Amino acid sequence: MSELSGTPRSGVIHDLGYRHFDGVREGTPAIARTLFVTGVRHAYGLGRSGKSKVMPFLLLAMSLLPAAIVVGVVVLTGLDSLPVSYADYTNQTQLLVSLFAAAQAPVLFSRDLRHRSIVLYLARPLSAPVFALMRWLSLAVSMLVFTLVPTLLLFAGALLAGLDKSDQLTSVGKAIALQVLLAAMVAGIAGLISSVSLRRGFAVVGSVMALIVLTGVVTVVQNIAYYEGDSESGSVATGLASPWSLHNGLANAWDAGVDTPAAVGAAWVPAYVIVALLLVAGCLLGLVARFRKVGSR
Amino acid sequence: MMNATIAKLALQALLGRRRFYVLLAFPVLLIGLVALVTALTDGDAAYGVLPNLGYPLVLPLVAILAASSVLGPEVDDGSIVYLLSKPVNRYGVAASKWVVALGATLVAGALPILVAALITGDSTRALALFVASTVAGTAYAALFLAISAVTRHAVIASLMFVLIWESLLGNLFSGIAWLSIGQWGLRVGHAISAELPDPANLPYAVIASLVVTVVGVWFAGDRLRSFSLRGED
Repeated sequence: MSELSGTPRSGVIHDLGYRHFDGVREGTPAIARTLFVTGVRHAYGLGRSGKSKVMPFLLLAMSLLPAAIVVGVVVLTGLDSLPVSYADYTNQTQLLVSLFAAAQAPVLFSRDLRHRSIVLYLARPLSAPVFALMRWLSLAVSMLVFTLVPTLLLFAGALLAGLDKSDQLTSVGKAIALQVLLAAMVAGIAGLISSVSLRRGFAVVGSVMALIVLTGVVTVVQNIAYYEGDSESGSVATGLASPWSLHNGLANAWDAGVDTPAAVGAAWVPAYVIVALLLVAGCLLGLVARFRKVGSR
Repeated sequence: MMNATIAKLALQALLGRRRFYVLLAFPVLLIGLVALVTALTDGDAAYGVLPNLGYPLVLPLVAILAASSVLGPEVDDGSIVYLLSKPVNRYGVAASKWVVALGATLVAGALPILVAALITGDSTRALALFVASTVAGTAYAALFLAISAVTRHAVIASLMFVLIWESLLGNLFSGIAWLSIGQWGLRVGHAISAELPDPANLPYAVIASLVVTVVGVWFAGDRLRSFSLRGED
């Protein structure tokens, strides 16, 4: 066979005489791309069993239903603006968005570590940091899709109902930009928690604590600081503590139609942006460190 | 019915390693927050934390964590077959695990609510809230135990019940109070202090909580009786 394949291969333990693959071997970028696509599909249960499709699509349907109702109301009653802004719609459905992240992050981050199939991934020419980043990217993109679908439904409804195009376009653009930031933050937090605690139930409770309980605490403290403590800056500063209050604060400062207890002034915007970016960067560093450590074992 | 060995093992699973710290984090968070707000403003402002955060969120989360850690890990990794292969009444297994989950819910969920409410002053209100959380915690523990025995996605399913059904939809439709464990607890508490809301009638709330508790534990036992092993999905 060696005259067919050209150069005789070295390092072969046992040559059965099968034809060798001598096409182009794709490197890390192709593996990373495939990993990303598979990750997004798995986050929605596509290519997995029927039972694992139930949860993501149930949550997606629940977050689409109010949007469909709002569009119906706008079309039928001929309102001249949407009763809820795009950014505020994401905020109103935050329980569903947080639950989606908490439920699906263990699918992407825990299973490979729990069953040790991570060693099979890392046996390929793909480094642990790239693996971690691709997993994060696929969760972040799935989150973005999750928030984007209802937003686009609202937008389509608004255009079909004949609302002002340029107004709607500006506010949907703002909402989408905020959703990108939100998806990056939430995916980072939920991913980091799921990669540290490998039992699914435990990871879910941890993510819920970080996303829902913490946001609840922040909202309560913000309200108390503003209404009872008469401290506007205290209220705004507390908003730095959770991803949802960062999203809402930025939306408020950017005039995207979200109410926060105290209005976020222009001076606070850099602080909010920097904290949000630091949060994403911190989660990514944590993920990379975690997968490096697990991969080297 | 009770089996002391199974209860002891469930308690060890509950207090083992990191789970204990998460369970501990809830009371510390709640009491710390209430004490901080009381110190900065006054007791009545701080009391707002409890009906908005402590009772509807922290109490059910503690119950979910407790109920799913006494049964969930065993169902998850399949080691429950070793327990089920022993000649022990399955209803006894469910009841023993429920007692442990209930104890954890009361110690880490209801008791901190009582302490936090006492910090804000007005001991009648605090007692009413404690009774409400005891009633709700009892029913929650049984319901979430039953859910853990049915599905591997027990935590998410329980969370959806609490966050979407009771909180999100419960705030929109007042009729959901008739089918919401948290509201039944509040109704029982209302009998002690009128500061708690009055969403349903008292005999109904008491009977419904009892029914959910008994049926939940019985159903968990029944699921364990006809347990079938499944692979990872």
